[in-house]
Amino acid sequence: MEYGNHAHQLPTDLGAPAPVLRWRFRAMSATAIFAVLSGIDLLISHRFDYVLRGWLMGLMICLSFCIGGLALLMVQWVTGGKWGLLLRRPLEAMSRTLPLVFLMFLPIAIFAKRLYIWARVTDPQAALHAGLIDAMQAHAIAYKRPYLNVEGFWIRGVAYFIIFGIFVYFLNRWSLQRDFDTQHGNRFWQKRFENLSGPGLVVYSLVLTGMCVDWVMSLDPTWFSSMFGFMFIVSQGYAALALAILMVLALAQYEPIQSIFRVTEQHDLGKLLFAFVMLNIYMAFSQYLIIWSGNLPNEIRWYMDRITGGWGPIAGLDFLFHWVLPFFLLLSRDLKRNKRRLATVCCIMLFARFWDTWWLIAPNFSGDSRNLHFSFGMLQYIFVPAAMVALWMAYYFTTLRTRGLVALNDPHLPEILEPEHAHA
Amino acid sequence: MATKDISPQNPMIDPETGEQRVIAPGHTFRSITEKLTRIVLTPHTPLGWFFGFTLAGSIAMMLLVAVTWLFLKGTGIWGITMPVAWGFAIINFVWWIGIGHAGTLISAILLLFKQKWRNSINRFAEAMTLFAVVCAAMFPVIHTGRPWLAIYWLFPYPNTMNYWPQFRSPLMWDVFAVSTYATISVVFWYIGMIPDLGTMRDRAKSKFGRFIYGQMALGWRGSARHWMRYETASLLLAGLATPLVLSVHTVISFDFAVAIMPGWHTTIFPPYFVAGAIYSGFAMVLTLAIPIRKFYHLEDLITLRHLDNCGKVMLATGFIVAYGYMTDIAYAWYSADKWEFFMAWNRIFGPMGWSYWILIFSNIAFPLTTLWSRRLRQNVVYLFIVSLIVNTGMWFERFVIVVTSLTRDYLPSSWGTYRATRWDYMTFVGTMGLFTALFFLFIRLLPMIPMSEIRQILPGAKINEAELQHKGGD
Repeated sequence: MEYGNHAHQLPTDLGAPAPVLRWRFRAMSATAIFAVLSGIDLLISHRFDYVLRGWLMGLMICLSFCIGGLALLMVQWVTGGKWGLLLRRPLEAMSRTLPLVFLMFLPIAIFAKRLYIWARVTDPQAALHAGLIDAMQAHAIAYKRPYLNVEGFWIRGVAYFIIFGIFVYFLNRWSLQRDFDTQHGNRFWQKRFENLSGPGLVVYSLVLTGMCVDWVMSLDPTWFSSMFGFMFIVSQGYAALALAILMVLALAQYEPIQSIFRVTEQHDLGKLLFAFVMLNIYMAFSQYLIIWSGNLPNEIRWYMDRITGGWGPIAGLDFLFHWVLPFFLLLSRDLKRNKRRLATVCCIMLFARFWDTWWLIAPNFSGDSRNLHFSFGMLQYIFVPAAMVALWMAYYFTTLRTRGLVALNDPHLPEILEPEHAHA
Repeated sequence: MATKDISPQNPMIDPETGEQRVIAPGHTFRSITEKLTRIVLTPHTPLGWFFGFTLAGSIAMMLLVAVTWLFLKGTGIWGITMPVAWGFAIINFVWWIGIGHAGTLISAILLLFKQKWRNSINRFAEAMTLFAVVCAAMFPVIHTGRPWLAIYWLFPYPNTMNYWPQFRSPLMWDVFAVSTYATISVVFWYIGMIPDLGTMRDRAKSKFGRFIYGQMALGWRGSARHWMRYETASLLLAGLATPLVLSVHTVISFDFAVAIMPGWHTTIFPPYFVAGAIYSGFAMVLTLAIPIRKFYHLEDLITLRHLDNCGKVMLATGFIVAYGYMTDIAYAWYSADKWEFFMAWNRIFGPMGWSYWILIFSNIAFPLTTLWSRRLRQNVVYLFIVSLIVNTGMWFERFVIVVTSLTRDYLPSSWGTYRATRWDYMTFVGTMGLFTALFFLFIRLLPMIPMSEIRQILPGAKINEAELQHKGGD
């Protein structure tokens, strides 16, 4: 490959740098610590339900990183752009964590009856007369039975992973093949990736909508919002992009990412992050405004459950972490071009995803809806997701080490190896 | 298209990327300037232009007649009735304002995304935005029946009766959203045109031309300071215009979604309206670009790359629209609300179900199955046909949302039907005439392709490092 006179040269070893091993060890240590804390908390509280709720929260966050990474990977194949080359290998590694996320899903499916009221209540009318559920819940459970049933939950859940698995497999396999391919030109590979990623994004949007309805929306069977799937798509992009940028910023201290990392692309990534911050608030606010204006009993209840009884400040802080802080920070051009500060914003955004996922899940359960209070069980919303995400990170670092961090044979590579101009 | 289909001899194919070129090879700064200024500064207006302008102007006369009659008789001449109190006026408003969105997306968002291919089409796409907003803005005003009083009803102003508009109404938000959108679009369009107006001033032969373009160029001399300020202003305006791409059609979607009408009150409306707007807007860009490039021989500046990219944007936004249709129906069932479900059923199989199937064919079945093909996306005739079909489908989408939803709501005793009158049709078709006539004037009087931006992407604008080193400029 021809490079310009002043171009950086790629190092011979394109593998993940040694510190990744250290990060993996830290992640595994964190997994062990939080798992032990969760166990102690379970012994104190005797509330296994809270472990499952925390598990669902952890699953949704790990799913955001894994499937969100896959979606961004497909977006960069379809749209092109140099930022894609910078993020490609970290995103591919995120998508390859799918088997672990599938394992994380299994306890949710196995203990579906302890999490989902529609799975627990087999006879809605009897449950209504026994005072276990109200009339609205009884109607919704009976009406939605053809969709909300345990068998369907299992079948759909497995199907979702198989479908995503196909895209993960081919995108990762072809990417590696392309690195060492000397027969086919760039055009061949570009078309191949585009032809898979274009339909892949359509499939992704449909499957993810099914996932979020099954796993989160159905926690409250009376609740529905046609924008919910779209919101999840955007929030996955929000989380996966923040994590991918954080990873690249950390890896940029070492070779080989150091050679291809330029402030210009960092700035572009900061702008992309800003776009997701805006899209996310756009979705969240639109949904809220429409439901608040309609003020219909079967819709407003979902919001009332999570803005009254002590949940109001949590919703306010969600707004602060999710939008106010990243928005005002990312307005700054200097911040987007400063590694440490951009990494801080990414951390805030990841924390915001934790916060928001808790706010989405916890108030669905009677006892906690409209009634935020401290209990030892509640601590499982910290310990279990933290242990799961730490485990996911450890697995992620393992997958990151399995291939070179710079994709070869990419048409953007010569350009990205050029030193940038001072004004860029 | 498979890789082997690309002819290496085709000069329009970039051998490095295998993609269609953004600009045909062989152009220089001079050739671009001469080609584009000649269209405007020529003393010989093409006969075809006269024919087109006359035809469009005649159709616009229908609008004049229809609006005059409306002002004399009132909105009773339209087909609106109970329960369909909103008819063509609101459909046309939403359709036209949606069309405008592509112009803003091309000029603002693609600028921020550093998409150089936008340079050839952004000027006339923005002009399209302005004329579409003119057509759209007319409807809320005339639908009041007595538009000379509309300002009292629409604009908040201190008055002795302490009487204010309802600020919680999205119809009120529309006033602010659309007026902001129109203002920013005009300013952005004009600022972007200043360097070209300077060129026009310098090349105009007539005294009148030099004076007019000179006044409009605001003393542009092309100095480094002028360019710096121009670039800064462009970026700032792009930053301001970008949220407007989302906000305007979002506010319009609120006109429906905040009501509790079945079929209207659904949270997917904001993103789905915005995607639909961009979908129809890009279709209109193609409807305009394809004849223009043919008539003025601009195939080397508006290349197949532009048409292909427009097709790709349509494919992406079309799928968001399809997602919206699908979720609309899926959640009508999942809501466990019998009125919502009935509304979805009524849209598809009710007495006006034919309109739903037209929209499904026009927006989904035909375009989204064929736009996948690169070969078709680079087929000019196909693209022109698909652009017309999508624009038709997007009009029917609004028809289904407005009319079908209103004909049958909660109480069967209040069900009704809707039949547009000749005045409805004349008003709608008349706005097409107005839009086209304004567009003819634009391409005759102003440079429809930004010369200054095209020059920036020519090979001559790139810094030749070897030459610099030779001169000791490294």
